[in-house]
Amino acid sequence: MNFKYFIKYLSYGFFAGAIALSPVTVIGQVKNPGLLVHAADDEPTTLDPAQVEPGEGGETIILQVYDRLLDIGPASAALIPSLAVEIPSLSNGGISGDGLTYTFKLRSGVTFHDGTSLTADDVKYSWDRAMEMNLPEGNAGALSDVIASTEIIDDLTFRVNLSEPSASFLNSTVVSMVASVVSQDAVEANGGVKAETPNRFMAGNMVGTGPYKFVVWNRNENLQLEVNESYWGDNAKLDVRIEIGGDPDVRVLGLRAGEFDTIETDPSFIADLEGADGVTIYTGGLLLEPLHIGFNLNIPKGSLPDGDTISEDFFHDPRIRQAFNHAFDYQAFLNGPLAGYGAFNPHYTPIGIFGHDADAPVYSEKNYAEAERLFREAGVWDEGFAVSVITEEGNLFALMCLVLKDSIERLNPNFRINVLAVAESVFDDAHAQNPLEYAMWAKNADPAADPNFYMQAYQHPDGEWGEVHGFANGYRDAAKVGELIDSAATELDPAKRSAIYRELQTILYDDPMWLIGAQEGVVMAHRDWLKGFAMQPLWPRPSLKFSFFDK
Amino acid sequence: MQLRDYIIRRLMVLPILILGVSIVVFTLTRVGGSPIGIYLSHEMTPEEVLKIEERFGLDKPVLVQYIQWLKGIVSGDFGWSGVASAPVAEVFPIKLAATLELATAAGLVALFLGITLGTFAGARRNRFPDHLTRIVAVSGASLPQFWFGILLLIIFWAQLGIAPIGRSDATIFASISHPTGLYTIDAILAGSIRALWDAIWHLILPALTLGYGATAIIARMMRSALVEELQQDYVDAARAKGLAEKLVIKRHARRNALVPTITVIGLTFGFLLQGTITIEIIYRWPGIGRWMADSVLRGDQATLMTYVLFTSVLFLLVNLIVDVIYANLDRRVTLGK
Repeated sequence: MNFKYFIKYLSYGFFAGAIALSPVTVIGQVKNPGLLVHAADDEPTTLDPAQVEPGEGGETIILQVYDRLLDIGPASAALIPSLAVEIPSLSNGGISGDGLTYTFKLRSGVTFHDGTSLTADDVKYSWDRAMEMNLPEGNAGALSDVIASTEIIDDLTFRVNLSEPSASFLNSTVVSMVASVVSQDAVEANGGVKAETPNRFMAGNMVGTGPYKFVVWNRNENLQLEVNESYWGDNAKLDVRIEIGGDPDVRVLGLRAGEFDTIETDPSFIADLEGADGVTIYTGGLLLEPLHIGFNLNIPKGSLPDGDTISEDFFHDPRIRQAFNHAFDYQAFLNGPLAGYGAFNPHYTPIGIFGHDADAPVYSEKNYAEAERLFREAGVWDEGFAVSVITEEGNLFALMCLVLKDSIERLNPNFRINVLAVAESVFDDAHAQNPLEYAMWAKNADPAADPNFYMQAYQHPDGEWGEVHGFANGYRDAAKVGELIDSAATELDPAKRSAIYRELQTILYDDPMWLIGAQEGVVMAHRDWLKGFAMQPLWPRPSLKFSFFDK
Repeated sequence: MQLRDYIIRRLMVLPILILGVSIVVFTLTRVGGSPIGIYLSHEMTPEEVLKIEERFGLDKPVLVQYIQWLKGIVSGDFGWSGVASAPVAEVFPIKLAATLELATAAGLVALFLGITLGTFAGARRNRFPDHLTRIVAVSGASLPQFWFGILLLIIFWAQLGIAPIGRSDATIFASISHPTGLYTIDAILAGSIRALWDAIWHLILPALTLGYGATAIIARMMRSALVEELQQDYVDAARAKGLAEKLVIKRHARRNALVPTITVIGLTFGFLLQGTITIEIIYRWPGIGRWMADSVLRGDQATLMTYVLFTSVLFLLVNLIVDVIYANLDRRVTLGK
């Protein structure tokens, strides 16, 4: 055989071999057995519980690799024991009579992934560490805002003293990702704790007690976890590879091809997956991140974008805020951008958490007659106005703004909404201003498991947004709103607490500080061969615990 | 001026040029907006924003920030990439290697197919194979890469399941060390046939997509050059000697036709590097193109400044080398005037 023929047959052999060895899809055959491949839409910014921002991609990984003292199960919002063997209560003595002291009995025999044993010292170290680091991007405030001190009673008993009674301490603070328990030995061996300084090792590595061990994080590519065979609970069944980022269409293709077992997507891609062989679309439940448009009542003089004709006190008038809420076409937003997956929640208590009142008044239908009446009463109907709303480009927030624009401009041709859809970094920069130089902005709320978070952050006149937006300038009775929110925060009787939130939801309907476009529905697509699929909106986005899955 | 003196003089000027480039890069990037956005989260308070500014030195005057950036570069610290969540200096070589590997593979695809098709068409001028090759070439030059890439992805990955996506099988990739960052080379160095096969297997679709456009250019150039060569007297002489047409083309005409084609091939590599952005996004290839695209969209200025500075310095160095080679080859070029 001469060289030419040798090369030719070698080529034939190469291609035949390639096809023979390639992963040919056989319908119904499980791909990647023993491995769960999840296609995520963004990259974690950190894997350190002390640094991670609520709602950010790193929380997904922290949920799988670290444990907390208590957890939330897949079936309901009820708390379940995790590293603590029981849920502290007044009846079992875990909560002191004055509601200021919480005692946690820890599980024995728990080991970290580095082989060291879990003790109360690790729990204290983990919590104190987050509070001492106090990183601006992190969520240390969830601990430091309520905790006065932490104590070790013995090797397996940990005590927390609160600065004031907190009704949300267990289901908001203790289950939060910042309260995850890290290996003290691992941290001390790799940089220790420094105030206001991120720990580079912990940002890219993980040593926890959870059902998964961290393997590797290939930036912009994938992140791999393996089953922790020494887990104190039921072992996970599948190793995990999280494919990071990439084009959303490719994620959809990958799911259809069986290369991915679960993908993160949004309702706009559901049409591409409906009817696909071997694909199940899960649509149960609602995300705890209502999509909202904020009204700014604290606009610095002369700072509004060119073209805005409103005065700085435009939104001080509650009739104008109400009119915006009445004019928005909720059904168009729900049936269009959200593809029908969503609901409408009262201000400001999402459906699915404690305190939500199903009978509370809700903005859910466009009511042009009422909007016109209110705009006329406020004296802006004839003259009209132009106002800008800033948001991130290319996502649901921008679409919500376009629905607002359409709704308002159809109501009255003299009204004009300028949608400023900008890059995420530009929006973040603008959004972080205080005072804010825009009259309106659109985004979603951070998720939380307790109504106190939403009320404090988004409604309290002295709260995070209340201060930036100048809510005190606009509430009909700011003091009352503040008092009700504060009293609900410390009320330990669930019935009384629920009644306070019910009253707040009615007050805030008449005196809205936000326009809530919708509470987005949970939409997740996965392969049929995936068993044990469960989503819990109270877990960090995408609300999955991989340890429940099998295939 | 002696060549040696010329090189020394150019090398002495180089740091000044790099400093000038760094000023331009820094200034232009800052004109585009504040670098702080990438490090912020949605719910940060102004006090928290200030802390972030302090951490990254963004609370200082711009001139001080520039000097700090320069100092960082000298010490190998290119800043923190918000997109990759890691130091730029740590991620940059890994991404660059992935992109170079893809561009090289695409170049080889383009070289092989382009020369083969060009020769095939040139030898059969104005006959059916020539027209067919023209169609292939024109479509290669005119089909949008993103469309062609997604088409191949749908057919070979999603429908047939015979091609993978991404750069590697994660398990196989982790089984070898990566001293060069080039997966194929690392696999050879590790003596792992399995890893080498995995690397090649993952390269096929993206390299084919990326190389197709360049194939068209090379094929058309090769065809034209071959047609011209086949009309030369020496070809007639070879034919008159009774040499078979195949040998005339292979031994004489094709060899000479390759000379102008090689110039085009050299230029094509730059085209391939530019084209990796689309390909990397579609095929989830973890290269520098995808990283840069994300960095532009999200305003990751530390990454962008490093990339622009890197390409600028590379350009300066390549220019210097080319000038020296020219001077060495062509004595008519007067040095230093």
